[in-house]
Amino acid sequence: MTGIRLLLGKDLRVLRRSPALLVALLLYPMLVAVLVGVVVRYANERPRVAFVDLDDLPETLLVGGQEFDVERLIGQVNESVELIRLGPEEASRRLETGEVVAVITVPPGFASDLRGMVETPSLLLRTTRGGISGRVEQQTQALVYNLNRRLQRAYIASNLAYIDLLRRGGELSFLGTDLDVIGLEESERILEELVRQTTDPATLAELERLRDFVEDAQLALGRSDEALLALANPIALESDTEAGRTWLLSAQIQAFALALTLCFVCMLLAAAAIAAERDENVIGRLVRGLVSLLGLVVVKVALAALVAVALGLSVAVLFTGVAELMDVQGTEPWERLPVLLVGLALAGAAFGAFGVLVGALAREARTAVLVAFLVALPLVLLGLVPESAVGAAGWVSSAFPFAHSVDFFEAALYDIDPWGRLGREAAWLVGLGAVFVSAARLGVRRLLA
Amino acid sequence: MPAAADGLASPLLSARGVARRYGRRVALAPTTVEIHPGDSLALVGPNGAGKSTLLSILAGALEPSEGSVVALDDGDSPPRLGWMPQKPAEYVRLSPRENLELFARLERLDDAVASAERFLRLLELPDDERLVAQLSAGNQQRLNLAIALLPDPDVLLVDEPTAALDPRQRRRFWEVAAQVLERGGALVFVTQHLEEVEHHATRVLVLRDGGAVFSGTREEYAQTPEADIFA
Repeated sequence: MTGIRLLLGKDLRVLRRSPALLVALLLYPMLVAVLVGVVVRYANERPRVAFVDLDDLPETLLVGGQEFDVERLIGQVNESVELIRLGPEEASRRLETGEVVAVITVPPGFASDLRGMVETPSLLLRTTRGGISGRVEQQTQALVYNLNRRLQRAYIASNLAYIDLLRRGGELSFLGTDLDVIGLEESERILEELVRQTTDPATLAELERLRDFVEDAQLALGRSDEALLALANPIALESDTEAGRTWLLSAQIQAFALALTLCFVCMLLAAAAIAAERDENVIGRLVRGLVSLLGLVVVKVALAALVAVALGLSVAVLFTGVAELMDVQGTEPWERLPVLLVGLALAGAAFGAFGVLVGALAREARTAVLVAFLVALPLVLLGLVPESAVGAAGWVSSAFPFAHSVDFFEAALYDIDPWGRLGREAAWLVGLGAVFVSAARLGVRRLLA
Repeated sequence: MPAAADGLASPLLSARGVARRYGRRVALAPTTVEIHPGDSLALVGPNGAGKSTLLSILAGALEPSEGSVVALDDGDSPPRLGWMPQKPAEYVRLSPRENLELFARLERLDDAVASAERFLRLLELPDDERLVAQLSAGNQQRLNLAIALLPDPDVLLVDEPTAALDPRQRRRFWEVAAQVLERGGALVFVTQHLEEVEHHATRVLVLRDGGAVFSGTREEYAQTPEADIFA
């Protein structure tokens, strides 16, 4: 243990003598974290989808007696996807090249089917296989849902206008003929007048039955607007976008920034540190009974873990401090910092162990840094791909510490009852760390050759 | 130093059929050599002959592909080895003092600071804020030697020790090596200079293409023309 402690002290001293490197190692991944966070956020929200109109939709569409501004309607549903109007061939080409993730086609006869309100018109969706097609399908379903909701509202509004005409009376144009509708209110008033004027008991009884019916009908139709809306939307979803953290300070972005920082810093540092022992020709001296090969691996893993704790705490305190200053609502993370410390150490050690393995295989420090960077980048990107979108990415990502670190940090900082998730992710990080340490121990022998 | 029953001192260090291969390439064919107290063994041979490989194996810095290295086991502590590789083995982002103190602590010496102080003065190394990376090749080589001398070795294994040294420092090196021999230790040195063999070796092992082609005393070496691979 003395040898490990002494070499760890040496590594920290050498690191302290490279402040520019430390600053770069800290700032670069944080910058990347924010940038990727922005990309991920917008990429997730608005995939580009081609819109092919084979029906030559008019500027305005009359459905259920209500006019729809087609362009405006498309603009309103653009929250879920970014629709780009294209011809069928251009849409197919862009789908093949990946410039759009799907093509929605309005088939011929769509508008007339919609106006007729007899048959349900269909939109056609084409996506590529694999990739994020599942997610695009969900987004497109959301788009159609939004369209349906707006049309539904129009139908209901149209029906309610007829009901209102029945209740209050007025003029109606039907098949080119203007009609004057008397309405239930006026009918009731006329009936009451007739009741007052009639002396014949039989006629009076009939009139009163008729008046009762008109009253009942008025009551029933008076509630029909709420009933129709409730029938159309049995469950409504109300969104409150004001509460909670802003997206930049969201749990996901914070956890992501922490994991990404540690991934790059720890991997590059550990890879360079182990390869430097060979570059400086010192490894031969050390293994002559001063420090074992396993001890040497442990030194670099411990170095990565220590740096991870220091950097991770700085990042976490920075985020939390900014959140406090901006008076952002959300869970208070200060009390979770001790749990976070454990996660930082575990993640740093796991990334460090992987970095040592990379450094041992690369052998030379500059090559090791380059290789570690090249390995870290896809590792991070893999962790970003939602498991629901690409299953294989989830499996591969599970074999590396990044995704587990993100999950651990999210749970540590923001889960109300985090212990189950923390335990599972901690076990993953420990397991992966042990595997990488064992592999690195074997790999470090290469440095002696 | 301990003596064997037949009156000869037991070897401090024995390499028994040690060999080293890298894939199909043979860096060192099976070689046997014994290092006795008072020996000053010169490892001689052209570049790539396997001299540094044998020295690294003797020092324990490189595992042999076959064979073994056995240190004297007389019930006391095993002989202390000092190893100076050809390329300086030191931390270039530390100062010479920091290097010496670190390796003294790793060697578990009682007073690391005093040991560092001693070798800084003995080998006239700079003792300021400069890092090893900022030192001349000669100073780096002297620090390399100082680290090898830290444990007061019974066997000093040095690889082309005088290559980067000026004449004064060369003399200084041979004085230090002589002190190791005087206290009953042994010296194994790799060299390309025949005058160093003539002046400082008691025994010579000649290697060529990874195999030993001659092993004997300096006098035998001088009388064996075919052993003179530089001829």
